[in-house]
Amino acid sequence: MKSYVFISGAAGGLGKAFAAECASRGWNLFLTDVSAGDLSILTSGLVRLYNVEIIYYPCNLTDPASRDELWKIIQQRNLRFHFLINVAGVDFEGPFIERTSAELGTIIRLNIESTVDMTSRALHFRDKTRMLRIINVSSLAGYYPMPVKAIYAASKRFLLDFSLALHHELAESGVTVTVLCPAGMPTTPSAISGIFAQGFMGRITTKNVGYVAAKTIDRALSGRMVYIPGVINRILRFLGGTVPPSLVAYFIGKRWLKIRHKYNGEILKGV
Amino acid sequence: MTVLPKTVVITGATSGIGLATARSLAAQGVNIIGAGRSQSRCVEAEALIRAETPAARVNYFVADLASQRQVRALGSAIRELIQREFGGKLDVLINNAAAVSDWYVATEDGYEMQFAVNHLAGFLLTYELLPLLEMSACARVITVSSGSHYHTRMHWQDLMYRKHYFCLSAYKQSKLANLLFTREFNRRLADVSNIRAYAVDPGLVNTEIGAKGTGGLIQWFWNIRSRSGISPAEAAKTIVYLTAIPDIPQKEAVYWKECRPVEPSQYSKRADAAARLWEISEQLCGIVYTP
Ligand SMILES: NC(=O)c1ccc[n+]([C@@H]2O[C@H](COP(=O)([O-])OP(=O)(O)OC[C@H]3O[C@@H](n4cnc5c(N)ncnc54)[C@H](OP(=O)(O)O)[C@@H]3O)[C@@H](O)[C@H]2O)c1
Repeated sequence: MKSYVFISGAAGGLGKAFAAECASRGWNLFLTDVSAGDLSILTSGLVRLYNVEIIYYPCNLTDPASRDELWKIIQQRNLRFHFLINVAGVDFEGPFIERTSAELGTIIRLNIESTVDMTSRALHFRDKTRMLRIINVSSLAGYYPMPVKAIYAASKRFLLDFSLALHHELAESGVTVTVLCPAGMPTTPSAISGIFAQGFMGRITTKNVGYVAAKTIDRALSGRMVYIPGVINRILRFLGGTVPPSLVAYFIGKRWLKIRHKYNGEILKGV
Repeated sequence: MTVLPKTVVITGATSGIGLATARSLAAQGVNIIGAGRSQSRCVEAEALIRAETPAARVNYFVADLASQRQVRALGSAIRELIQREFGGKLDVLINNAAAVSDWYVATEDGYEMQFAVNHLAGFLLTYELLPLLEMSACARVITVSSGSHYHTRMHWQDLMYRKHYFCLSAYKQSKLANLLFTREFNRRLADVSNIRAYAVDPGLVNTEIGAKGTGGLIQWFWNIRSRSGISPAEAAKTIVYLTAIPDIPQKEAVYWKECRPVEPSQYSKRADAAARLWEISEQLCGIVYTP
């Protein structure tokens, strides 16, 4: 039986990089994202480049009914997976008080609820003849409480803990869970200007998505639990771990407010 | 000059060398069809040319050349315009647009942005406009390459520099690709059609190209370096020359700088590399060139 790599958030920057990496390894792909148009364009581009089989189906992952429909299609077509890459995630950056309840709900529904749901369902559609590799995309932000990104960072913390626990729980059943914790990734114009705005620190903590995707797949294949791209980021994570969380939050808060001041809030509006 | 080209398409005609070329050709009475990615810069460029040359016939189209869909749409919009207003004939296509990016960015098609904009877009647009170029008695496809094409080679094992991206390597390779495209175009089409391709090295030019998609060190370096460059108007002269001169002396020379043929890199003359890139580009654009 043919099996596929399932990638959510496939039309975004990191999603495209994962899709290209997996296709370059000759794997067949199942892609989802919100826009059918984007998926169709990406699919034809990657098919021309790598000559693999790619199926796509659009889904609004924040909507349970849309997710049901997605998995109904998967069931009808009898698809099986040997890789699940949960990339879809969102942030609306800026002070908590400025966020609408719809925005806050979207972060929680997409980053947490949908990732859990996808993971649970994919386990029932795994290709039983091989290992199932699950990759969840958390963030370096998942390690710290982060003022100005409070809900986002907490949602990423959830993914981190969820993934680590699941990794051990599923260890005996031929499933590995790898959690990716990147710092900045230059995927969209606003992410790129955000990195520039952070100056030197932004620059040295940033890694190219193509590189990150390739390395993450290597890590997943060797069953690693956590992958933090970049030596500097690993050092930051290590140092962060030695300081009480409230102190880290204090410094991060000061830093963001300074950047926000400098750029008059313009880069922090929406991602 | 006796037989001026009548109609010219210029990509990236909203700033730098492309805009200077458009202004200069418009002043000589050539119909200008410009393309840019920003609606407002297209409007500004069009207004600027009209202000300088009130009689000019100028049309700008907006298209993001990183998107193959938009390149195709641009092609068909230009075909439609030329059929309607310019007698169905295009004399010169100038593939000038290019971009630099600090980071690996994948386009909507899943391709690396510099490779897509600097090389594939020109490859595809030339294909789209081939029928119109074939109607001209002596058509030219001019691609703005660069001295950056020296000292580099095609990175076949990872053409998109997906895994080990470095801004300048990707840029240099894309400019080498411009030359390989030009050479292979002539090998395949120059004898069987009336179209000939040329590549231009504008020299070091004071434009913002190296500061747009970059920050930090590379931006700083470019801002300093570009100040010692020539003006865009000066750089446009070779392009204008190849566009407007009725009979090009040494017309088989591929690579031009300061209105004279110059020697391109050895690698750019490799027939195997040119053929290989051509086939990959056809595959990536989903097209087959047939004269
Ligand atoms: N400057 C130099 O020293 C130098 C040296 C050698 C070769 N060159 C070559 O000369 C050519 C022109 O460069 P330049 O220096 O004049 O740079 P520039 O001023 O930045 O002009 C580049 C043009 O391309 C357009 N463009 C960029 N990305 C695009 C996209 N995705 N879709 C559509 N249009 C896009 C730009 O639009 P916007 O106006 O919206 O930015 C602009 O009109 C390039 O091929 C470059 O490689 C330059």
